[in-house]
Amino acid sequence: MNWTGEPITVERISISSSLEDYLEAIAEIIETQGHAHTKEIAEKLNVKMPSVTNALQALSSRGLIRYQSHSPVFLTASGAETAAVIRHRHSVLKNFFQSILKLEEKEANDAACKVEHIIGEKVLSRFVLLSEAIANRADCAGLRDYLQQTMPQICPETDDDLISLDKLKDGQCGVVVRVAENLRGIKKFADLGLVSGTLLEMEGSAPFGDLLRIRVMGSSLSLRSKDASHIWVRLAE
Amino acid sequence: MKRTFKIALAGNPNCGKTTIFNILTGTHQHVGNYSGVTVERKTGICRMGDIRIEIIDLPGIYGLSSASAEEKVAFAELINDEIDLILNVIDAGNPQRNLYLTTQLAELNIPMVLVFNMIDDARRLGLTFNIPILERYFSAPIVEAVGATGEGIDELKRLLLKVLGSAEPKRPKPIDYGEIAMPVIRELSAEIAKTDFPLLKRLPPRYFAIKLLENDDAVREIPQLKPFLPTVDKWRKGILKRCGVSGETYMTDCRYGMISGACREAIKLKDPSRHQFSEDIDKVVTNRYLGLPIFFILMFLVFFLTFQCSIPLMDLIGLGFSALADLINHLWPAGHLEYVRSLITEGIIGGVGGVLVFLPNILILFLAIAFLEGTGYMSRVAFVMDGFMHKFGLHGKSFIPMLLGFGCTVPAIMATRTIESEKDRLTTILVLPLMSCGARLPIYSLFIPAFFAPRYQAVMMWLIYFIGVVLALCCAGLLKSTLFRSDDEVFVMELPPYRMPTVRSLLIYMMERSLMYLKKAGTFILAASIIMFLFNTLPEKKEYSKDYTVLTEQVRGDASLSEEQKQKQIAQFKAERESERLQYSIAGRIGRAMTVVFQPIGFDWKVCSALIGAIAGKELFVSQLGILNSVGDSETDTATLQEKLREQYTPLQAFCIMLFCLITMPCVATMAVVRRETNSWWLMIAQILGLTLLAYCLTLIVYQIGSHLF
Repeated sequence: MNWTGEPITVERISISSSLEDYLEAIAEIIETQGHAHTKEIAEKLNVKMPSVTNALQALSSRGLIRYQSHSPVFLTASGAETAAVIRHRHSVLKNFFQSILKLEEKEANDAACKVEHIIGEKVLSRFVLLSEAIANRADCAGLRDYLQQTMPQICPETDDDLISLDKLKDGQCGVVVRVAENLRGIKKFADLGLVSGTLLEMEGSAPFGDLLRIRVMGSSLSLRSKDASHIWVRLAE
Repeated sequence: MKRTFKIALAGNPNCGKTTIFNILTGTHQHVGNYSGVTVERKTGICRMGDIRIEIIDLPGIYGLSSASAEEKVAFAELINDEIDLILNVIDAGNPQRNLYLTTQLAELNIPMVLVFNMIDDARRLGLTFNIPILERYFSAPIVEAVGATGEGIDELKRLLLKVLGSAEPKRPKPIDYGEIAMPVIRELSAEIAKTDFPLLKRLPPRYFAIKLLENDDAVREIPQLKPFLPTVDKWRKGILKRCGVSGETYMTDCRYGMISGACREAIKLKDPSRHQFSEDIDKVVTNRYLGLPIFFILMFLVFFLTFQCSIPLMDLIGLGFSALADLINHLWPAGHLEYVRSLITEGIIGGVGGVLVFLPNILILFLAIAFLEGTGYMSRVAFVMDGFMHKFGLHGKSFIPMLLGFGCTVPAIMATRTIESEKDRLTTILVLPLMSCGARLPIYSLFIPAFFAPRYQAVMMWLIYFIGVVLALCCAGLLKSTLFRSDDEVFVMELPPYRMPTVRSLLIYMMERSLMYLKKAGTFILAASIIMFLFNTLPEKKEYSKDYTVLTEQVRGDASLSEEQKQKQIAQFKAERESERLQYSIAGRIGRAMTVVFQPIGFDWKVCSALIGAIAGKELFVSQLGILNSVGDSETDTATLQEKLREQYTPLQAFCIMLFCLITMPCVATMAVVRRETNSWWLMIAQILGLTLLAYCLTLIVYQIGSHLF
């Protein structure tokens, strides 16, 4: 790992962010297994085989890989170089999210995956400088303690705290926090009072069926649990 | 000052709108407690002094988003007619949800009066209203009233007169949508005001601006508004980024926010622990385990009332008609127009009387339905049965008509009106005749005891009904997945609190439906009876194989026979003559012609001819079969008929006859009501052909396989 903070200047071939993901995956697979096959790439990225083939052709046409159907994929010299840059960016960002922002490893990894494609080398190298400084400089000791203390307390409202309406038990009350925009007939539900901030109570479900019954604003409504799963509530007394 | 005005009555479903309508106009209407009862356009005239007010009862709606058929109808009504005033009825027991519609009606810039209906229920719940504060928030005068008792109605009328009488009536102030939306609403309104399209004459530009931000499809389609779409979409994208919600959700939130603010200030809940009586009932009635048993017990009660308690009344009507026929026979001058006499006594009185006998059934059945609907139980039935019906592509609301189908298909088809989705409604109507109706019962009670051992009789009866139900559900599933395929519609149903229906509204409902039935008997059944009579009697047979008159005279004169033997012999001759005459008649000839087709399923010409009778009414199958088998009176001589049938048919044939009668085309009355309720000749014919074809194919399979096995 290069933690010196010096800007890395490699003449890079410009490719799209999705191709970057492919190149990154290929490099990782070769590193762990020695060779990369189309199938392994598809599994790692969780995509279909034809998409992989398309991407491989694109990468190959840019001279980043050597690729023939039914044989393993090899990185060319410039491909290995580009992959190294991408993976470096990823690890720098992941390190920043993990050690400075104190995110869990998975969260840090996911955030890095999203950010790595949109920032340029200039921003990246400044990120490295900042992380190095905070992590190592003596005059940052107080800041380190402060971050250690306060960062984990910031707990944004995530869906983890919420439960979907269909999971509410009989007699439990909840306040609507969010209604997923892809709920079909969202307008109809909104007209009936199912908007954020509404207090509702689960009254039960129909015999062998998917109908739920809830009490909203003084009236009883029945709706399908499939639709109810798009409505997120926080438990209330 | 104007002398005639138009008022639109708007409100949520189940808010007591129709009650207010009835009390203002005095016309008799059905008041139900079930969502979507008011589907037709209803208007009434209310006179106050020399002022004439036309009141339009809009269907119950929750919002003005043209999302459902009701909302479309209501919106079209509000903008197309020159409405002078909107009378917005609000269920005072549930003000928050009901006032949501008010905020949308306020956008229309039409003078408005609010009625807080069922205020007595609300007070019982512990709610108190600060009316002046609410009036200020919604900038419309408010009256507290109770539609069922008439409380507050005089005050409402006075207020209506005052508002209509003022030269420049106050218009409601539309609500503020906050800093995020107001600038763009103002900007858009100013731009829209410069354009020109027909709707703009009725509605303020601001209305269109708001609808655009809400992404209302109908408004987006207006060509003159197309240029504004980029601005609107940019704003909508912005709001999604800034607040994480779409434009429509944002506007809805604003409205509910304003309402909850107003309610917090003006409505006090005194005793929050007090809860509704309804909830207690529902804990039992819609319970996961008790719900179904309770429902089946209630249904059993309804059927018991319908079919048992009406027997004395039915007997009375039957006696009345036979007395009438006797009277006519007696008074008719002998030898004059004999043919017309038998047409009247046998054809018309026999046919129409045979149907009118079921009037007590219909009256009691509809009284029971009106009660269950009026109390609000019907929506619970839909809730309880939905899971089961959903497996066949229908939903809970289709269940009630199917159940009624065991009684009579005609009222069952009329009961499908409560199903909101048009495709579900049509599917239900098309499969309804498969529910074995009461008129088919005589056929089964004739054949089953004749051909099956006593211990199998109950099973056979059950099997026939069961086959009908299974076929109905399968056909529904098939129709829903092919012809009437629709995206699984959003299903949200309100379960209104239980209320005691007033006796008046029950009677009105019962009378309306019964009159419909009477009308049917007076038109279709009458025509069908006359046609069947003609088929059975024409052409008149002049020459018989034997001279029955002479034979009868011989028997009469024969001294060696006892009186009883003579009577028997004479009856035998009479029946033989009748049989010969019928073979010669149109019905007999058609029956013979039909055997070509019906041979493969084991039917002879008698059964075929009886099938023609069954078109007029399923029960006529039995009487026609009796006549053809030379049994004088099929009803008293069931045993004789059963014996004769046993001689002619095998149990397999008997089963095939019952199967065919169960599935094949419905009676004329059903056809007529299908035509009217679907408003399509095509669907009616498709149903007739489809059911007949299904009956034929199934019977063919059963008969052919059966006759190879046994």
